[in-house]
Amino acid sequence: MSSTGTELTAAGAKAPRRRRRSNFTKKDRTVLFGLVGIPTILHVLFVWIPAILTVLLSFTFWNGIGGIKEIHWAGFQNYTQIFSLYEAFPKALRNNALWLGFFALIPTPLGILLAYFIDKNLKGSKFYQTAFYLPMVLSLAVTGIVWDYIFRTNGLVNSLMGDTSVESATSWFGDPNKNIWVVLGIASWRHIGYVMLLYLAGMKAVDPSLHEAAGIDGASDWYTFRKVVFPSLRPVNVIIIVVTVIDSLRAFDLVFIINRGRNGLELLGVLVYENIFGESSRIGWGAALATMLFLMSIIPIMVYLYQTFKAEE
Amino acid sequence: MSEQTLNGDVSRRSVLKGAAAGAGVVAAGGFLSAGAGAGAASAAGKTVSVGSNQSDPAARKSDTAWVAAATKAGFDVKLNTVDHNTFQNQINSYLQGTPDDVFTWFAGYRMQFFASKGLSTDISDVWSKIGKDFTKGYKTASTGLDGKQYFVPTTWYPWAVMYRKSVFKAAGVDPASIVTWADFINACKVFKSKGLTPVALGDKGGWEAMGTFDLFNMRTNGYKFHVDLMGGRASWGDARVQKTFTNWQSMFPYQNSNTLDLEWSDAAQLVLQKKAAMQIMGAFHASIYTDAADLADLALFPFPEINKANRRNAVDAPIDGYMLSKGASKNLANAKALATFIASTDYANAVLSVAPTALFANSNMPASDNAFVRQQVELVKSSKYIAQFLDRDTRPDFAGPIVGPAIQSFLKNPSDKAKIAANLAKQWDALPPA
Repeated sequence: MSSTGTELTAAGAKAPRRRRRSNFTKKDRTVLFGLVGIPTILHVLFVWIPAILTVLLSFTFWNGIGGIKEIHWAGFQNYTQIFSLYEAFPKALRNNALWLGFFALIPTPLGILLAYFIDKNLKGSKFYQTAFYLPMVLSLAVTGIVWDYIFRTNGLVNSLMGDTSVESATSWFGDPNKNIWVVLGIASWRHIGYVMLLYLAGMKAVDPSLHEAAGIDGASDWYTFRKVVFPSLRPVNVIIIVVTVIDSLRAFDLVFIINRGRNGLELLGVLVYENIFGESSRIGWGAALATMLFLMSIIPIMVYLYQTFKAEE
Repeated sequence: MSEQTLNGDVSRRSVLKGAAAGAGVVAAGGFLSAGAGAGAASAAGKTVSVGSNQSDPAARKSDTAWVAAATKAGFDVKLNTVDHNTFQNQINSYLQGTPDDVFTWFAGYRMQFFASKGLSTDISDVWSKIGKDFTKGYKTASTGLDGKQYFVPTTWYPWAVMYRKSVFKAAGVDPASIVTWADFINACKVFKSKGLTPVALGDKGGWEAMGTFDLFNMRTNGYKFHVDLMGGRASWGDARVQKTFTNWQSMFPYQNSNTLDLEWSDAAQLVLQKKAAMQIMGAFHASIYTDAADLADLALFPFPEINKANRRNAVDAPIDGYMLSKGASKNLANAKALATFIASTDYANAVLSVAPTALFANSNMPASDNAFVRQQVELVKSSKYIAQFLDRDTRPDFAGPIVGPAIQSFLKNPSDKAKIAANLAKQWDALPPA
């Protein structure tokens, strides 16, 4: 009874505020507009409109010079020719898929595993944490240059292997059967730290009482992690999946630094760049590639997010 | 993407032989050293902005030197240097945005392309004054499709076979004796037997081997076919292109196998370090020779004859220089005055003072006493036809993104050459109208 009394009082005090919430004052609306409206406008202006224009441009021929009257309708020709003629395209598709598969199977689980160990507060875990995250602090461009020195013909690895001669040294970046794996290794070196940090942050937020309860019930650490911590980290898992998919599809800098994304290192992002920049760009062709890349990234992510949040409701 | 180092070296003018003809004419050097400008309101400090792609340290020094000379001549030059590759990649939006008044560029198709798109300013009136200082070949190379001039040539360099005299001497090969393809292959065999890589080739960037392709194609099929191929009047599917590739293939046993792992400068290093005997390269090969004794050991000979009909009558000799942007119209008098200055020997002498191996377009520059430079001048004088370079002679949307990777594929799998050429032909046909 007494508790009801308290509730009533509280409700009474809150009531006017609640009503105001559904019936915004001018000030509320201004603030809301400022906080939501402006970012939305900017977003539409700088993301959605260019994206839609890119899709439209993908059905045209245009060399990037001159105004609208220089843009000629191409129908689906850019798309059909990319599929039928463009030798780099299937290679890029394969490499992007490989990148995604590799990221999903190796660095992402490894990052989670590292987070699991570091979260146990091992001795020196701060050091490990910093060490693993360090690659992420460097831009991919810097990473590319550093690793180039390690794997080039007369680089560190070949020096250690004792053969830096042009004729016989292992060609890490020049051999199209090898270079993609070297690059994936480098990219993973960076991605692991990223996943680890995201995961660690999530794990710190898990209610310790869950751990304790599981411990009291006799669950092992690993079992607790799999059955209790992991499922409660669903939001972080979603982020990690999204980050992994996006990072795999937009990969660019590393291969661009190494050999401009050619000879076994073709990626869709590089092909877009190669065709759009330069003296006489094939904007329509590049836009068609960009459109395909856009669909590839957005469709799986939308499906995944939709399912996840639907399940949550 | 082509390199543009000034190292070339030096000198003499008369180059560009095709030109030869009357051209020369007198003209006192530095006729406009007074900064005579095209009617510039000759107020003190004629301000002109210049966009430069000369970001390499050596090239930057040249820029600094000529800007200092221009300042002395009464200009206030605002130099805006951009990383070389970035400059190239962004040129399109740069020229359509708010470009500098004057910018570094290349003669030939690449100049004509921007001229025809209305992105540069006609400087025919400047040429009426500077024309006497250049041979006809340079004027042609500076002329757009509409017959007007859009370009001021400054420096050039030829492509040839670069080698170290001491290496040839040690192997007992006389470079002067290498005339035909058989001679060349025999020399390669000798070097190979001595444990050297006969020909160093790096094509990691995808443009370097275009120079090799040009030479093989011009030797195999002649200059006419080459320019027709570049201009789209002949097809990449033509059997003659296959012949070019077949001839190149005969050099494969003598070239390093990891061509796609090396940049041109890595390959040049092999020659410098005496691990390789030769490199088919632009004369900017010399830019990696930092030691004077090594530089004195460097020499070149023309790419050998393959088809008797074509002798050794053609060479790639790209010309670098400056254009006026469309935006220069707001500062036209000053920009044209600076263009005139750039055409002068004052400009050339300033660059020469820091780049002793540069070769200048201006006919009034004295002959160089550098042997390597003289060889270059001789080479070009003895060539009947001058091409620019594959990525300067054909459509840029074809050269970089399509031919570059195709040549890389050929280097990897030469036996695919028929397929590679057929695909090139199809891709050319699929290009949108220029």
